[in-house]
Amino acid sequence: MSVDDQPIKKPFRWHILVFLAPAFLVYTAFMIVPLAGTLQLSLFRRIDQQLVYVGLDNFRMLFGDPRWSVNFWNALWNNVWFFIIHMLVQNPIGVLLAALLSSPTLRFRAFYRTAIFVPTVLSFVIVGFVWKLILSPLWGVAPSLLNSVGLRSLFAPWLGKEEYALTALSLISVWQFVGIPMMLIYAALLSIPDEVIEAAEMDGITGISQFWKIKLPLILPSIGIISILTFVGNFNAFDLIYTAQGALAGPNFSTDILGTFLYRAFFGFQLQLGDPNMGAAIATMMFLIILAGVAVYLFAIQTRLRRYQF
Amino acid sequence: MGSLKIENVKKSFGKVDVLKGIDLEVQDGEFVVFVGPSGCGKSTLLRVIAGLEDATSGKVLIDGVNVVNTPPAKRGIAMVFQTYALYPHLTVRDNMGLGLKQAGTPTAEIDKRIGIASAMLSLEPYLQRRPAELSGGQRQRVAIGRAVVREPKLFLFDEPLSNLDAALRVNTRLEIAQLHRRLKATMIYVTHDQVEAMTLADKIVVLNAGRIEQVGAPMELYNSPANEFVAGFIGSPKMNFVDGARLGDGGAKTVGVRPEHLSVSASSGEWRGTVVHAEHLGADTNLYLDCEKAGLITVRIFGVYNAEPGATIYATPQPGKIFRFDAEGRAIR
Amino acid sequence: MSRAAHSPARSAAAHAVLIAYTAIALFPVLLIVINSLKSRNAIFRSPLALPTPETFDPVGYTTVMAQGDFLLYFQNSLIVTVGSLFFVILFGAMAAFALSEYRFRGNTLTGLYLALGIMIPIRLGTVAILQMMVASGLVNTLTALILVYTAQGLPLCIFILSEFMKTVSDDLKNAGRIDGLSEYRIFFRLVLPLVRPAMATVAVFTMIPIWNDLWFPLILAPSEGTKTVTLGAQIFIGQFVTNWNAVLAALSLAILPVLVLYLIFSRQLIRGITSGAVK
Repeated sequence: MSVDDQPIKKPFRWHILVFLAPAFLVYTAFMIVPLAGTLQLSLFRRIDQQLVYVGLDNFRMLFGDPRWSVNFWNALWNNVWFFIIHMLVQNPIGVLLAALLSSPTLRFRAFYRTAIFVPTVLSFVIVGFVWKLILSPLWGVAPSLLNSVGLRSLFAPWLGKEEYALTALSLISVWQFVGIPMMLIYAALLSIPDEVIEAAEMDGITGISQFWKIKLPLILPSIGIISILTFVGNFNAFDLIYTAQGALAGPNFSTDILGTFLYRAFFGFQLQLGDPNMGAAIATMMFLIILAGVAVYLFAIQTRLRRYQF
Repeated sequence: MGSLKIENVKKSFGKVDVLKGIDLEVQDGEFVVFVGPSGCGKSTLLRVIAGLEDATSGKVLIDGVNVVNTPPAKRGIAMVFQTYALYPHLTVRDNMGLGLKQAGTPTAEIDKRIGIASAMLSLEPYLQRRPAELSGGQRQRVAIGRAVVREPKLFLFDEPLSNLDAALRVNTRLEIAQLHRRLKATMIYVTHDQVEAMTLADKIVVLNAGRIEQVGAPMELYNSPANEFVAGFIGSPKMNFVDGARLGDGGAKTVGVRPEHLSVSASSGEWRGTVVHAEHLGADTNLYLDCEKAGLITVRIFGVYNAEPGATIYATPQPGKIFRFDAEGRAIR
Repeated sequence: MSRAAHSPARSAAAHAVLIAYTAIALFPVLLIVINSLKSRNAIFRSPLALPTPETFDPVGYTTVMAQGDFLLYFQNSLIVTVGSLFFVILFGAMAAFALSEYRFRGNTLTGLYLALGIMIPIRLGTVAILQMMVASGLVNTLTALILVYTAQGLPLCIFILSEFMKTVSDDLKNAGRIDGLSEYRIFFRLVLPLVRPAMATVAVFTMIPIWNDLWFPLILAPSEGTKTVTLGAQIFIGQFVTNWNAVLAALSLAILPVLVLYLIFSRQLIRGITSGAVK
């Protein structure tokens, strides 16, 4: 019997390797290695044409040297504001639209869904320029629209004013992306079984209170996912600001966020030369911020949001 | 052509041992059914025979050749799956022919075999259809046809009837039995339904927790189960088990009596009990009795029997139909 | 179905809100397209009016066609998008199949490793990617963009497709094995056709950000011969800031192909999102 007990030797399953290798290699070479390279580069500095290991000096400069730190904190704060606007405006609008769309008797549902999602498929370049034109006092579309509802006096060249520009751009970004939370929450609402809703009707929970007491608790996990997607997207944003306001993120850096700051540090602007190592340091900071956000979501939020099996 | 021998086959997934050393011999032309509760390892054993799972150790011999390192297609087997597993993008004809085409069989031969199989299973009108255009019963017949055209040494059936509704199940069961008679092929059939096992098998293999409990002809298992598990698993309603000590039978830990082997009387008998519930099935009646001596037991009476819950009834085991088991659950003969 | 709770007033209010938001979503796009067809004077005098025979003027489009190499940019965008899409779907589906079909040591770990990229943006590796491309001489080639976009698209593709592949019947694959199909044929012939709807969803998800990306074309391939439409439009508009006809026409030209593609695939995209693929 001892011979029979010998485990059977399996031939090596080459096909698993063949299936995995291409994706693994491309992903590793162009995503993981560069990410690691960026982290590594942030610890070096070019001195007299030589790449020298400087430890955390780049970060000390980023936080200690006012030429860098003022810009960094400004960009970070702007980025936080950018995120706050998204959370406060984009998600409630998304939930509202989704709740309306998910009503079982609604007609033209497909049309609304398709139309509201249109801005999301447009490129930042288009969105940036379109709104720049619309809000431009030169063209006068925005003032004349406001005039038609009697609010002409409210108009200001929002993108050109330091105090409004960032908020205006955040709202433009919300306009572009509201389709995503709408769709995800719509999907979550659809996945609530009819029986649960019917049971609620039987229990006398209808209308608005049905939304707050039954549906909202059941879609909280989706709202959690939307929040983290928004967070990652916001702290990685660049294109909209770059197209609408240029690399200098004017007026007077009031719309500068980490993405544009990284771009300027890396490539230089006007008289300042590009500095790949400082760029890498900023990218590392962005990496850590996003990682922290994702970690908070995964360990603190997601574990508390209960998922329901239907 | 078509014998199977399994020697000390073991299979574990990580730390879980699913098969704990299986030895089994199947003769050419036999219809063998693997039966057991879910999770007993019967499907895993079938898949090890098919080569869809690798055994952790042991040997699988088909016609005397060890096939543990042979891919499924080269083992000379065919399999019918629970979910039919038809290729959704191929017609019925191509579904049946794919395996042969893959093996390089000449087209004329493929056509001939498909012709025979589809006639046998009355599938001719559907040969150009796709699976989505067929009913559940038709799909399962196509799946059986796909196995037939391969002219395998071994037919493997993995719970082929459990996705069909009750009426179709009986029909298809009949068809499989006829198929076996006509082809005289070796068939191995997995099910958790003991009725299927009893009606189809030449030989039943009862599995439990990764071990074979007993191998034998259907009536052999019914008449002389090797242990308590087999006694309880084969037969419906389930055998009644009574503590030996309560009956004053010192030699047996447990005493078993099948519900159909109990005689009832309103006036006298061995076990006095109260009717808890009565199920009237027409052809027979199941009584649930709460007995002072034997506890809650089931009695099966042929024909109609009127008994109201609460009534007092006496049940008496028929002589010679009592099974006795020792402390390990083994039958005492 | 009649619901006691359903009232016409509520339904009208819902439609009012949705129509209002639809107008907000579509108005800017329509405004640009409408005005791109008008004369300069009409653009400023009555921006909200539709073009009439008197105000119709395609001068913007002729300027764009004469000035920019938009056809070339368009071709570049097409090559980059289709190329990346092909590799993302092919490699992604292969990896997803390996992860969902086979038990092997390191399966979970590999899955987690490949999913990392869903949360961490590839953009943060730009500094090192540029150095790598410079070192290998791939700067200002479309190949560089295709490679980067393939890496960018893979994580989500693998994640979504492996969820779908788990739903493909095991019995079907086993039937194929018994019929003598190799693992490769099982993948290409049995599994891929069954997950085609999921692949279409992934394709749309992958395509939009690639087509619209400004960052990598700007950094890796800004040369005249390799500009994508997005980068081309950005630079063109920057140069023609004061030529309103040209700017509006360029924007319309950039919007239309995306819009047409979206309308073709929107059903697929929405079905993909609502089927819970992205959760």
